[in-house]
Amino acid sequence: MMAFTACSNSAPDPGVRVGLITPGSIADAAWNSGAYAGLQRIRDSLGLAISHVEARTPAEQDEALRAYASQGYDLVFAHGFEFQGAAERVSAQYPTTAIVVTSGSRTQGNVSPLIFKLEDASYLAGMVAGGLTRSGILGFVGGIELPPIKAAYEGWVNGARAVNPKIQTREIYLNSFDDAAAGREAALALVRIGVDMFHHNADAAALGLFQAAKESPGVYVFGANADQSSLAPERVPGSAVIDLPRALLLVAKAVKAGSFTPKVEVFGLASGVVRYEPNPALAALVPPALEERVRAAADSIAAGTLVPAARPASMQARKREAPRALSSALALDAAQSHRGHGGRRSTPVMVASSEFSAPLW
Amino acid sequence: MTDSLVLLSGFLAAAVRVATPLLLAATGETVTERAGVMNLGLEGIMLGGALAATLGATAAGPWAGLAVAVLVGMLLAALFAAVAIGARADQIIAGTALTLGAVGLTGTIYRQAYGIGGAGLALPTLAPLPIPGLSQIPLLGPALFDQPMPTYLALLALPLVWWVLFRTRTGLALRATGEGAAMARAAGVRTGLVRTVATVVGGGFAGLAGASLVLAQVGTFAERMTAGRGYVAIAIVVLGRWHPLGVAVASLLFGAATALQYVFQSLGLDVPYQLFLMLPYGLTLLALAGAVGRARAPADLGKA
Repeated sequence: MMAFTACSNSAPDPGVRVGLITPGSIADAAWNSGAYAGLQRIRDSLGLAISHVEARTPAEQDEALRAYASQGYDLVFAHGFEFQGAAERVSAQYPTTAIVVTSGSRTQGNVSPLIFKLEDASYLAGMVAGGLTRSGILGFVGGIELPPIKAAYEGWVNGARAVNPKIQTREIYLNSFDDAAAGREAALALVRIGVDMFHHNADAAALGLFQAAKESPGVYVFGANADQSSLAPERVPGSAVIDLPRALLLVAKAVKAGSFTPKVEVFGLASGVVRYEPNPALAALVPPALEERVRAAADSIAAGTLVPAARPASMQARKREAPRALSSALALDAAQSHRGHGGRRSTPVMVASSEFSAPLW
Repeated sequence: MTDSLVLLSGFLAAAVRVATPLLLAATGETVTERAGVMNLGLEGIMLGGALAATLGATAAGPWAGLAVAVLVGMLLAALFAAVAIGARADQIIAGTALTLGAVGLTGTIYRQAYGIGGAGLALPTLAPLPIPGLSQIPLLGPALFDQPMPTYLALLALPLVWWVLFRTRTGLALRATGEGAAMARAAGVRTGLVRTVATVVGGGFAGLAGASLVLAQVGTFAERMTAGRGYVAIAIVVLGRWHPLGVAVASLLFGAATALQYVFQSLGLDVPYQLFLMLPYGLTLLALAGAVGRARAPADLGKA
């Protein structure tokens, strides 16, 4: 079933139309809501016409892409790794529509991927968790074991082991991104065997994980995909964030300016799009020495000297050589925004969210 | 030793928690199906109940949420009854339509009410109410007597539903309607009314089941959060042979298999997790094939 939830025709510039297809509900406070927020920003700050549709099954996803492309949309965001195949099929038929697969794998015709190295930020979250855990057992709750999710899990584990090599980890997959009650039961099952630090990648199903942490003394959850501190302010030391609105807006801006060309865009810590966002309310929890180590690791990751997780072959970017103007522009602009704050930090780790709340262009 | 006892006790409590919404929905569906109505809208009604509980709890606390969820469940079931019993539409199609409609409608209403940020986790919820004395029993105490209110309601409803179905004239009329509506009509039973009431009662239970997910478990709403529990409940009615006691056993079996699945995954064995996820469903299939051979559905089930 597809539900057209937002079709805005009121934008002043009807020339460029942007569509977004999400694989799940935009009210998940994570992966999908971030993309929708990006779409709204595209309308509000670029004045482009926007449309959103939710498509869960491969058949629906193919159909939704085809619908936008056949209507002549200039840019379509296919929001997830799972759209890659459908995007390539549809693009072969409608080459004028630029299709951007978030978390995609390669360029093909007018299809280009945005690759978010969430594992960069999950590694830092893992370091904090590895320093804070009392039991030495970390837990992870995932929706489905998609390659980007697996990579984030690896980053989380490697980060924790960098701090404490004896760390044990446990993971549970739910086979659902909606079943919040299952998320809670999975978390409680892990709490029973001693897990006290959690990370996740389960979108709306993770709400149950946060609830379980609220109910269990001494249990903490690190958010994923969005800053999730507000879900349980006293139990979320930090979040591995993908600033989806920023990334989507950058692409739309390039399309509007006519300067967009299909290429692989990789966003890691250096870009500021992927970052570890600590929760100020729990700042006292993290000892200064640990915070210093996390910051140093962030610098190494941004500089490319530390690899948080090896990406599986299915996720290796296969690119035809193309300039990476977008991400280098971003890195520059992130660096500038930091210099504006005293130039204390060389990479955008542990930045307060206010630094990024204002549009940067 | 005590450690494994604590783990076992925790596992049993998890099994009962997972079973609670299934037991509530399946108990209601037992009443409905005994009257000859197959309500595939159960999944949608549970989802409606879950959203109603969220809205009610936001406005006036968890008890109001519970009450509103039951009312909305009954209302949605009445809608189904009007179409499937009043207008004699095909029950399977009407039920499926109700579920599909509820999935879209709950999502839309939820986004209208709370925006894309969602309701968060600030909702007032129903904490576990340990029953003094009984909750101290080793192993079974925490599992059965340290649970939130919806679990107690589910357990209390079982003997009540059994008594009404098998020990009252109303129950006799209801079962007669399900077994042979024409005959029951000839005997003076107002079968249309009986079926409508049985469907609405089933809807109330399903609404409560949805509310238990929100108020006693997750603490917030998520779109499609019922995740197929309505359909599982319908299978449980079959597995439980249309009898409250059987339904209770089947719900607990499914709850235990699900809880066990999490335990297996948490062991960190080098086995694909999908195998464990299959466990509750595989077990249900096996039980259906093995134990239900002799069971017989109400003869007029699904007939207009």
